[in-house]
Amino acid sequence: MRIKVFRIIVVILFIITVLNLIYIQAIRGGYYYDLSMNNRIRVVPTEGWRGRIFDRNGVLLADNHRTYNVMVTPQDVKDGEELFSFLSSALGINERVLLRTYRLREVAPFEPVVVAENISREQAIVLEENTYRFPSLMVQESFRRIYPLRENSAHVLGYVGKMNESDINLLEEYGYSPQSLVGYLGVEEYYNEILRGDTGGLQLEVNSRGQQVRLLSFKEPVKGTDITLTIDSKIQGAALNLLQSKIGSIIVMDADNGEILALTNFPAFDPNLFSDPKSSSGVQGLLSNSQSPLLNRAIKGLYPPGSVFKIPVAMAALDLNKIIPATTFYCPGFYELGGRKFGCSHVHGPQNLIEAIAHSCNVYFFHVGLTVGADAIYRYADLLGLGNLTRVDIPYEKKGSIPHRAQNILSGKRWYTGNTLNFSIGQGDTLITPLQLTRMMATVFNDGLQVQPHIIRLIGDKAVLRYNAKQQLKIDPEIFRIIKQGLKGAVQSESGTAHVLDIAGFDIEGKTGTAQSFGEKGTHAWFVGYVAGAKRRLTFCVFLEHGGGSENACWVARSLLEAMIKDGAI
Amino acid sequence: MGRDLEKKIWLYSLIIMFIGLVVLYSASYNNVRVGQKVFFDQLGFAGIGIVIMYVLGRIDYRKFYDSAYFLYALNVFVLFLVLVTGRQALGASRWIDIAGISFQPSEFMKLTLILMLGRYFSRRRVNLSFSFLSKTQLIIRDFIFPFTLTLIPMFLIFKQPDLGTALLLFGIFFIMLFVGGIGYRYILSFFIFCLCFSPLAWHILKPYQRDRLLVFLNPDKDPLGAGYTIIQSKIAIGSGQLFGKGWLAGTQSQLNFLPERHTDFIFSVVGEEWGLMGTLLVLAMYFLLIHTAINIAEQIKDRFGVYVCIGIAAILALQAIINIGMVMGLFPIVGITLPFISYGRSSFFVCVFMMGFLLSLSKR
Repeated sequence: MRIKVFRIIVVILFIITVLNLIYIQAIRGGYYYDLSMNNRIRVVPTEGWRGRIFDRNGVLLADNHRTYNVMVTPQDVKDGEELFSFLSSALGINERVLLRTYRLREVAPFEPVVVAENISREQAIVLEENTYRFPSLMVQESFRRIYPLRENSAHVLGYVGKMNESDINLLEEYGYSPQSLVGYLGVEEYYNEILRGDTGGLQLEVNSRGQQVRLLSFKEPVKGTDITLTIDSKIQGAALNLLQSKIGSIIVMDADNGEILALTNFPAFDPNLFSDPKSSSGVQGLLSNSQSPLLNRAIKGLYPPGSVFKIPVAMAALDLNKIIPATTFYCPGFYELGGRKFGCSHVHGPQNLIEAIAHSCNVYFFHVGLTVGADAIYRYADLLGLGNLTRVDIPYEKKGSIPHRAQNILSGKRWYTGNTLNFSIGQGDTLITPLQLTRMMATVFNDGLQVQPHIIRLIGDKAVLRYNAKQQLKIDPEIFRIIKQGLKGAVQSESGTAHVLDIAGFDIEGKTGTAQSFGEKGTHAWFVGYVAGAKRRLTFCVFLEHGGGSENACWVARSLLEAMIKDGAI
Repeated sequence: MGRDLEKKIWLYSLIIMFIGLVVLYSASYNNVRVGQKVFFDQLGFAGIGIVIMYVLGRIDYRKFYDSAYFLYALNVFVLFLVLVTGRQALGASRWIDIAGISFQPSEFMKLTLILMLGRYFSRRRVNLSFSFLSKTQLIIRDFIFPFTLTLIPMFLIFKQPDLGTALLLFGIFFIMLFVGGIGYRYILSFFIFCLCFSPLAWHILKPYQRDRLLVFLNPDKDPLGAGYTIIQSKIAIGSGQLFGKGWLAGTQSQLNFLPERHTDFIFSVVGEEWGLMGTLLVLAMYFLLIHTAINIAEQIKDRFGVYVCIGIAAILALQAIINIGMVMGLFPIVGITLPFISYGRSSFFVCVFMMGFLLSLSKR
């Protein structure tokens, strides 16, 4: 064994350490002593600018503007009262507010604390002229996030802000400083790691009067990476206009590749409010607004799909060979079960599958639903992605739920035939997001080829390919073609539920939905459809929360399509 | 002879503990971040630690031979748990709560790794001239298999992420292998192998971890983070000069310039307040302790005991030298504690256990 060799190695290592200690402490000791007594080292951080965000046509959605921050270095504060009363008068901010910010953000004596942000150039010059009186005072060039289109794409983008307490503890390990700006919600949060710049800064040696003696080192701040989204801000703008004074969502997605061209909710918010410290009341207003403008309804709002849900029901019945397209049921305007009447919108008379989809006949689907059973409907809804995350690249997506008969029974609730009836027409406990329905419609449009909805197109100038994966559902494509005949009828036949959408020269198809909601606020209105045979295969979804009957959604959809046609998007 | 070695272990470890408490008192004095609580905590650890040392010293260390594999497996399992539960908190946790006490399983892994490797290496039979095993089988048995057993906890600890402790495990394995007498040509080829894989290792590091390694080559690269700490700690140590600024009188330490001065950077407080005199005293105590451990190893007949002694000496030497090197800017900042002196429940008790083992070993 080599114990002796080991001992010799240890001895050598200790000797090296001792020699180094002698060098630092005995030989260079005087130099370090002077540094520690007479001089100080001060660190002035500079944030790297955040990457910009563009839409698919190169329109700027998020940019940065140069601003100035006021910083105070705790270890250099000599006369705090005088300093803060000076700052208060120079900036026009309450002294107590300044002091509170200062105390809240203090981390270490050597690290300057930002006490006021986004001051004007003129104010910055005034302060700069007074730094000789207050060695602790510094004016620092910084940036402020600007969203030129304001509410347009707000929910897609999110906003930026200073980290909150819990994030600081979590992210410190990963090289964030408490002063860092981070993204919240939207792509600002999802792609924060890519967008954020790398903080650089100066390390100065200053003397006891706070004057710079020497520049010790400099680290260039690094700009974050720009990203380009699949969003088309023109369609977004049109969608935002159409939703004014309503509550709801509009989604437009390319069925070929899952690129989301529009994802708009109303009410929306202005993300600029979050990067402007003077508008904290505006932020408070957003948070306390009962219509929840911060809520991204398209991916987080959970609603019953109403008659749009007839698509998976029809699919289940066809795939399990329970019906053929010609199977006919008679609609007297209601369906009677145990003395209770389940209504239909009209007296449709005899209906085959195609007609039943086009006319959205409830009675037909009551019959079909009972034939295939709740379990099969659940299976096909699940297969089409309802009640599942779409895994779109926007954070905090909700998955919703499809009622599962067995689970209901296991958890002590009963499952009655009436439940199956309601389930067959998308009422009751079925809760899904508008984006899930959009993706389902794209899958139908594609004859079973499921795409991955996404919002990112380019990172820097590199195309993002990981969302291009597609999945072919194991269902006979013929079944989708049959269903699409019904969807075509809904728009293009005189008696179809969405006939208002029949725009000459365009092959528009889709399904309406009017979903009952709890309470007395009225029904939700849906239209989910696609444009066939055009230059781009677009799927779209219009959802109006408590928007009344589905025809309201159809009118909005018509205006949306007209706007897109005028723009040349279709 | 045995009693003599036993006394020495007691003497040196108690002196280091005492120095540690004196320095920790100063490091936590006037400290905005942690406060005086850490001193009283450590005082308590020391009290309990002395009892544990005494008790362990009376236990036959062969008992640990029996449970070595079990302890290793248990510790790896707990490391795995840390990773799984830590995931939920964005994977930044190194601690686990058991019975209301939180501790770092990665610290204890050093000890269980020594026991496991000690038992594994000591079981090796003498090769007969007509060897039953082919050369490849020998390499697998003597090298690849134990190396894999070391890589498992290394990987789990690296994932925490705690690069320093992961590399320390590697160092322990390497020293035990070396002392065990593996051929120099194997060591050389192992080095070449590692060198070939270092670009890959570099690749799996997170960007901020790479930054921390690069910073030591050039502290100016990150003047705001790790680079700042290195410069400040060099100033602190250097400004202590020959005799130091005196207890509680270090300007760097007392003015909160050093963020981690009660844990990883506590040696800079020694340097600033006690000067070269103090740093050499601490270094001498560590050296004598390691020296004694190696003396015990030389006198023991049993191979398991030798391996454990060498392992303990290796941990002490690696931690002391890397930590002090780190504080002086000679090593990258990798988060290695100074034995007995840095504040920390897990790292302190691991040192206590090691001393207990040495006491037990010195009696054989």
